Amino acid sequence: MNSGIDLQGTFIESLMDLGIPAGTAKAIWMPLPMVLMLIGATVGVLVATWLERKISAAAQQRIGPEYQGPFGLLVPVADGLKLVFKEDIVPAKSDPWLFTLGPIIVVIPVFLSFLIVPFGQNIVISNVGMGVFLWIALSSIQPIGLLMAGYASNNKYALLGGLRAAAQSISYEIPLALAVLAIAMMSNSLSTVDIVNQQSGYGILGWNIWRQPIGFLIFWIAALAECERLPFDLPEAEEELVAGYQTEYTGMKFGLFYLGSYVNLILSSLLVAILYLGGWDFPLPLNLIAGWVGVSEANPVFQIVTAALGIIMTVFKAYLLVFVAILLRWTVPRVRIDQLLDLGWKFLLPVGLVNLLLTAALKLAFPFAFGG
Amino acid sequence: MLKFLKQVGDYAKETVQAARYIGQGLSVTFDHMRRRPITVQYPYEKLILGERFRGRIHFEFDKCIACEVCVRVCPINLPVVDWEFDKASKKKKLNHYSIDFGVCIFCGNCVEYCPTNCLSMTEEYELATYDRHELNYDSVALGRLPYKVTDDPMVTPLRELVYLPKGILEPHGLPADGPRAGARPEDLVEQTEK
Repeated sequence: MNSGIDLQGTFIESLMDLGIPAGTAKAIWMPLPMVLMLIGATVGVLVATWLERKISAAAQQRIGPEYQGPFGLLVPVADGLKLVFKEDIVPAKSDPWLFTLGPIIVVIPVFLSFLIVPFGQNIVISNVGMGVFLWIALSSIQPIGLLMAGYASNNKYALLGGLRAAAQSISYEIPLALAVLAIAMMSNSLSTVDIVNQQSGYGILGWNIWRQPIGFLIFWIAALAECERLPFDLPEAEEELVAGYQTEYTGMKFGLFYLGSYVNLILSSLLVAILYLGGWDFPLPLNLIAGWVGVSEANPVFQIVTAALGIIMTVFKAYLLVFVAILLRWTVPRVRIDQLLDLGWKFLLPVGLVNLLLTAALKLAFPFAFGG
Repeated sequence: MLKFLKQVGDYAKETVQAARYIGQGLSVTFDHMRRRPITVQYPYEKLILGERFRGRIHFEFDKCIACEVCVRVCPINLPVVDWEFDKASKKKKLNHYSIDFGVCIFCGNCVEYCPTNCLSMTEEYELATYDRHELNYDSVALGRLPYKVTDDPMVTPLRELVYLPKGILEPHGLPADGPRAGARPEDLVEQTEK
């Protein structure tokens, strides 16, 4: 198995050559990918909000932002600056501590989840052995923050929105976990790197979406519900609840919610890409292409191209899914709260269980194709 | 048991149907994305208004005979006609005339009934002010003619859909003198005379 580029190893080794002890070298390395990932995620959000505006406009035959920078590219920046400089208001008779903690608790787990998102064999902050499980565990911290924000606002709309958010997150976590479980069963691992490796080798044909079409749909629906995207944006349904738990928030605290929701969308898209669409895997097997061109797989240029292509592929797949989510937003009307819970508990849960059983049976019957 | 299986089958059928409807909807929104925006980018582009457009009212002071027909036909008796009787010429002499466009509904009755045609409709619709009292136009303000959209060098004039040449649905980048679709009123008159 070719491991590709190992940036961490080379970086630490070169520092050690300069006479820095191994522990210090590792400590110098550690913040680098983290900061890079934070910046990457934030830039990803800016791009996503810009896309949201432009694609929404296109779907409605409008032009969308145009004059702020080329093609309105600076709109998200203006947005962010506005939110940073806005006055921070804590409403009267609210609970100031919970009110401040709410958005923080919502945002931190989402950013923390980027820990397990791989962009290549070694381009990942940490290859945690139970990566996807970590993500599921982290994402269940979110409803606590939402409930906190809703409760602390001293506003009935906010409280209703918080309760809805909690109900929604809890109900859709189960189908999500079941879909992930089926993947984990096929990959014999929860690590995101292993899951992608298990899909690669056959190009587009090897991706999990062919083996897990039902799981893919369940995961995507549940992920949309977890992100509170339309058609599942009940917690902030503006026609009914003003803005749900965000009603009383302004300034950077609101900005954190806004950031959190888009980072969550990107994270979910990245995870769908990793779990079902082969992660950094190119649609054609790369070693085959290397064979045709006549380059050895250990060739350093080929390695760099592969790594770059891996990052591009992951991001491309994720943004393709973001595009689908935005298109869905303008296609599907919002569901009612009872329809939402019906869909979660009476449809996705049993279908997810059947999918799991089916995967288990197929794994026993055809171990070569289903990761025996 | 059979009943249960039938229920499962029906449920599955409904699910497939719902999924197909969502797919249809997605194809509609996707199709809309490739169409050209219908936006008129307002301060830079403006529509050329139709000839029956009812905009701000124009008033010619010298033509007015102070008959007050405009006041009588107005739904809310809006025009203020200030006149006095001139004994020497035995005629009404108009002192002031004003219409408050903050209250006017642009119904056009006054224009329709004015016996001397001293009232007319203009194409002006940009009436925004910082103070509502500024909307109360006196005879001087009523006598001003608005700037034509087609004469404004800052503005790209766009034709409305009915004024586009036949088969064209897109007002951008048209030659200025392309004839509109259908027969013009003078053509119709010619046809009837034959």
